[in-house]
Amino acid sequence: MIDYLYDGTFEGILTCIYHNYYTDKASGIFRKDEYQSTLLGGCMDIKTDPVKATIVYEAIEKKISSYDLRRIYKVYLSNDSDKETKILKYVLLGFHKGASVSMLHSFPEVFDIQSIEKKVDVERERMLQFVRFSVMKNNILYGRIEPDNDVLELIASHFCDRYKNDPFIIHDIGRRKALIAYQRRWYISLFDDKDVPEVSADEQNYRRLWKNYFDNIAVRERTNPRCQKNFMPVRYWKNLTEMTVLKNG
Amino acid sequence: MESIMKKLKILADSAKYDVSCSSSGVGRHNDGNIGSAHASGICHSWGADGRCISLLKVLFTNKCVYDCEYCVNKRSNDFPRASFEPDELARLTIEFYRRNYIEGLFLSSAVEISPDHTAERILESLQLLRVKYGFAGYIHAKIIPGVSPELLHRIGLFADRLSVNIEMPTSKSLSLLAPQKKPKEIFAPMRQITNSLIERNILTGPGTMFKGQNLNTEKSYIGGGRKHLGKMGEDLTEDMNCSADYEKYIGFFEDTDSAMKDRIVQRNKTGVSSLKFAKRDKSFAPAGQTTQMIIGAGGESDKSILTTSENLYRTFKMKRVYYSAYIPVVESPVLPDSTLLPPLEREHRIYQADWLLRFYGFSVKELFGGKEINLDPDLDPKVAWALRNLELFPLEVNKASFEMLMRIPGIGAVSAKRIIRQRRVSAVRFEDLKKMGVVLKRAKYFLTCLGRYYGERRFEQDVIRNAILQMEDGLQVSMFDNTWNRLQKGERQEKLSSAGLI
Repeated sequence: MIDYLYDGTFEGILTCIYHNYYTDKASGIFRKDEYQSTLLGGCMDIKTDPVKATIVYEAIEKKISSYDLRRIYKVYLSNDSDKETKILKYVLLGFHKGASVSMLHSFPEVFDIQSIEKKVDVERERMLQFVRFSVMKNNILYGRIEPDNDVLELIASHFCDRYKNDPFIIHDIGRRKALIAYQRRWYISLFDDKDVPEVSADEQNYRRLWKNYFDNIAVRERTNPRCQKNFMPVRYWKNLTEMTVLKNG
Repeated sequence: MESIMKKLKILADSAKYDVSCSSSGVGRHNDGNIGSAHASGICHSWGADGRCISLLKVLFTNKCVYDCEYCVNKRSNDFPRASFEPDELARLTIEFYRRNYIEGLFLSSAVEISPDHTAERILESLQLLRVKYGFAGYIHAKIIPGVSPELLHRIGLFADRLSVNIEMPTSKSLSLLAPQKKPKEIFAPMRQITNSLIERNILTGPGTMFKGQNLNTEKSYIGGGRKHLGKMGEDLTEDMNCSADYEKYIGFFEDTDSAMKDRIVQRNKTGVSSLKFAKRDKSFAPAGQTTQMIIGAGGESDKSILTTSENLYRTFKMKRVYYSAYIPVVESPVLPDSTLLPPLEREHRIYQADWLLRFYGFSVKELFGGKEINLDPDLDPKVAWALRNLELFPLEVNKASFEMLMRIPGIGAVSAKRIIRQRRVSAVRFEDLKKMGVVLKRAKYFLTCLGRYYGERRFEQDVIRNAILQMEDGLQVSMFDNTWNRLQKGERQEKLSSAGLI
């Protein structure tokens, strides 16, 4: 048993799964840049190999299911600190049990993956709810998000369809990248605050209108901040137009 | 911009007592210029009252010719009035939508001049939004009782969901509190909507109530006479407080639409009546119809409220009935004391019971034991039912049918499905239940797992009841803490600023 180190890519994890079959068994998979040696079992640097990764990719699709392949990809996008090792265990169990692996709720390997996947799904859903665009010059829509998990590519198709005739940018501030899309085509690129386009003239007015509407629509006899925070966790508030203080009132 | 700010303030203020804000029931890709619809709906924000904000919910106008006692917009109320211009409203919707503030528009209105006049203005706004701006997002339009069938039809062609407010749970309180609204005028548009949906083969009904049944047949069509109404009115005789007396109106239609009925019969004769194979035409209100009623303004019992709902579900196959705890906004001698708190706990229990009707296969009759006419305020109605029918329990999770699993308190559709799925592969152990999403603190009293009972006390009604009550005590307090109370303006500011909202 030996710790595997990989480069942080999905292909890297798949390559590790390959090596687990043909070389030393892995005690865990860790990111190279975050690894702290335990000096117990030693570690091995796994070089990402597209050929090996493809073999594992296709094996998962064929021997387990494309549903489970999607599933572990979503887990890969999560911020769980031990996701790589959990993916490894799930895939190993999957190769053993086949397509029914996702039904085995009582196995800890399955429960781990199921709960991480749920977190990613929940946050994806929240991003559909909480992205707030500003209309910038040249009618570009620009929204800022700071999700816990890397859900940018999971929300692309929803917004691409909805705003097919509006060019838009969704900026993941923490990861310094952005989803850039127009007419149903999209890509993800590095993006920094200096790249943000200039805001349009009447944007402030619409923000004020929205905030005004938001404050008015609540029934005061039913005021219930606890319930509000349950649905709309405070950590998302700083990028929500209605929850931030506007300039000029 | 300032004028629209003012209008929005007034017209949102007047619309906020409308309950429904859901954007669910229809999935649609962007077939216009901007917008799409998500089958399960998307909430974009939550207001300080904890209610979700999914749609831009406004009145077209709050100038009203009616004088309904409970309504903030009643004619005799001294209150700021305003109306939108159709294009103004359409642009506002688009600008909010582009910024991902909302899923679409919920357009209601007070009655200005006449129902038809108001409906024409609503129609004009929706047409602009759909045609001029190419809006493909969600639209919920309120239908005002008394509107002409032609206008209703045309509004339905633009809207995803329609609703006609029933307002009061019984015709008695309707005639007392909203004397200008007539039951017949409320049910006529409801019936037209249901029939139009049947004609298009897209009626699906509430929740899972009619799962596996094809509703798009002559049988569900609401025509003349009472023969389509089944056993309604049964409960009328049980006690006088429980007079869910709308039935006589629901069945009061003459069979005028025989041409429409013929078309349905014709379609069924061609042999493609099953929902699965026949073509579905989503041109008219594909997300179905809903309604809402006020709780606690008249003197109705929970049983009569839920009986009316059940009738609405069974007859009109509505997607949902919404309930709104009465909040005193105007003073009136026929209304409850305005210093009373809104009956939020009661509303909560009624919603729970409503879910049992739509998703869990319960009937109203089952929810009330013996002579009871109100739900137990301390217990979830599903727990209350289980305690009354303790002879059916405990159920063995490895053997019980899906329907019976759904009747165990603490087990819902998701966990019941998971149990059934895992049972095919291996036996379900007690430790697995929690991972499957079963709420064990309730469920453990009502089930056995591989033959063993896990509720630690004696299997008796009072013992279980007390155990559950003790456990839920903490929860109850936090759910209805004093922030739900009626607040004065100053207090509210204080609350909101302490919550970081101002």
